[in-house]
Amino acid sequence: MAKSGNQIEKLAEAPVEFVKDGSAFIQKCKKPNSKDFTKIVRAVGIGFLAVGVIGYAIKLVHIPIRYLIV
Amino acid sequence: MSTPTPPGGHRTLQKRRQAQSAKEKQQKQSPASTRQAGFGGSSNSVLKLYTDEANGLRVDPLVVLFLAVGFIFSVVALHVVAKVTGKLF
Amino acid sequence: MAGFRLIELAKPFLPLLPEVELPYEKIGFDDKVVYTIIAALIYVFGQFPLVGMAKAPVEEVSSPVLDPIYFLRGAFAAEPKTLLEFGIFPVVSSALVMQVLAGLKLVKVNFKVRQDRELFQSCTKLFSILQYFVLANVFIFSGYYGSDLTVFQIALLNVQLVLAGFFVTLLVEVIDKGYGFTSGSMAITAVTIATNFVGDVFGVNQLPVDSEGHTEAQGAVINLLQSMRSSHKSFLGGIVGAFNRDYLPNLTTTLLVVVLAAAVCLLNNFRVELAIRSTRTRGVNNVYPIRLLYIGGLSVLFSYVILFYIHIAAFVLVQLVAGNDPSSVIYKIVGGYASSNNLLYVPQFPLSLLTPPKSVWDCVTRQPLTPMTFTTFLVLTGAWFANLWQRISGSSARDISAQFKEQGITLTGHREQGISKELEKIVPVASTTGAAVLAVLVAVGELLGLKGKGASIILGVSCGFSLLELITVEYQQSGGQSALTQVLGVSGA
Repeated sequence: MAKSGNQIEKLAEAPVEFVKDGSAFIQKCKKPNSKDFTKIVRAVGIGFLAVGVIGYAIKLVHIPIRYLIV
Repeated sequence: MSTPTPPGGHRTLQKRRQAQSAKEKQQKQSPASTRQAGFGGSSNSVLKLYTDEANGLRVDPLVVLFLAVGFIFSVVALHVVAKVTGKLF
Repeated sequence: MAGFRLIELAKPFLPLLPEVELPYEKIGFDDKVVYTIIAALIYVFGQFPLVGMAKAPVEEVSSPVLDPIYFLRGAFAAEPKTLLEFGIFPVVSSALVMQVLAGLKLVKVNFKVRQDRELFQSCTKLFSILQYFVLANVFIFSGYYGSDLTVFQIALLNVQLVLAGFFVTLLVEVIDKGYGFTSGSMAITAVTIATNFVGDVFGVNQLPVDSEGHTEAQGAVINLLQSMRSSHKSFLGGIVGAFNRDYLPNLTTTLLVVVLAAAVCLLNNFRVELAIRSTRTRGVNNVYPIRLLYIGGLSVLFSYVILFYIHIAAFVLVQLVAGNDPSSVIYKIVGGYASSNNLLYVPQFPLSLLTPPKSVWDCVTRQPLTPMTFTTFLVLTGAWFANLWQRISGSSARDISAQFKEQGITLTGHREQGISKELEKIVPVASTTGAAVLAVLVAVGELLGLKGKGASIILGVSCGFSLLELITVEYQQSGGQSALTQVLGVSGA
């Protein structure tokens, strides 16, 4: 009885422990400053949009074909 | 046998070290993934499926690309056929 | 050699399976860019409507079978009623499932032996094609493509869906084998998600929105511009409509998606920097970063693979076995589907517990328990997978310390034996915490009613980051000699 109670306690403690460890880790992390961050966002944004525009251009080819066949 | 070795000391350390290295060896011998065995493959943040060249129908990558495009166009052609012949399907 | 080995199953199929040749010589940086982009574009081009679906318009059928996995499509680059009905789900899921099983030693593979690796790989390939086949037939026989298909139509649909899957597998293989950048599945996911994003924001294609024949642009921004000067709507009504139309992407969801993408960018740069120094040369100090998102977007991908399996299993039970009949026992236990807008199949309680709601309003009024269950599910599966993956993927604390030893690097202030222990304190925590944080982010996005767009943008950006890292390394290795960058005038940033 005591043992199972112990186990349940342990099970309940696991998420608490996890959150504690996790937040401690995040505290320890080096965060980018706002200048770095804007640079990253801009670079990623441009890359993402560029690839997306190429892909979308390909998809646009579908539209006339769909018109032809449907 | 006759005189029991006193606990601790040189021997125990050696034994521990041996056990440790045996354990490590064992872990090394049964890697859990292609990369752990040292042959590329998925890494911590990248999912990679194909690393080795297995026996099978060898195909050139360009052939694959062309066939894929060909396949898509054959589906387009099927659409056209379906439209021209009316209610074929 | 006692016991049955699953990978042996692949043996009889080996001579039949096509196998992309490994490159004879190292592929240059530019060629890799071209191969990767072309393979991904072929994939995007493959999102073409299927031939052989029943012609009858949806309205004529009393209870049409609609799309039950609409909220999972974004993550797997799947487009409904096209050749890529299942996207790259079978490829990704078979890879993840097989590697996890091997990592748990449930499938016995000796990765040291070349033949075993080959078998394992062929087995993964077979498994993915098999999944395409099974999924295709589940959808065909559920009536998703129309209720009274002829044998010819069924065969035709089967051929199309399975062949498409087959080619997707091969495209992924081409990139994986070294013609492109490392991971075919992730490159394809990232490119498709980027494409969809651009389509949702700037898409100019007009789609019919009502029976009067009015059309609206797919892109949220284009739609805003159009409705400002459209004749059948007031100026203000147009703007309001642009922010809250629910049949096509609107500006609110677009903004949310952008915020999520920025959040991933931010999280991706959270890292712990360990001071390292060379054991060979004195005075060479550096830092070794361990990112919070140590395993990138893979944890989300894994959670979504599990979700997909759950929802497909439910779909099979409810639709194929019970015919989505509210009076049947299965419907009562698993939950059924209610159709919405004649487009989507919305799962009902209890299946709805693992379904992101269609909007915030739906979430509060109809699925009050979902935020709890859905978030918990994502966090648990994500963290579990993260913990396992960091151990088996060859980037665990022990592997890193072995790498350090090889390269003559040591952590400043630690003995060589201590490195592994020190890393052991950081790596697992980083990966599980990162996975949990990412899972919460996905859950928040999805619960706000993004219908899969939240998960997909998070996956897209994190996949993009993982690839970008490798690409920059390769770029530096190639000595920065790239004709492409010169043409584009990009200078690294």
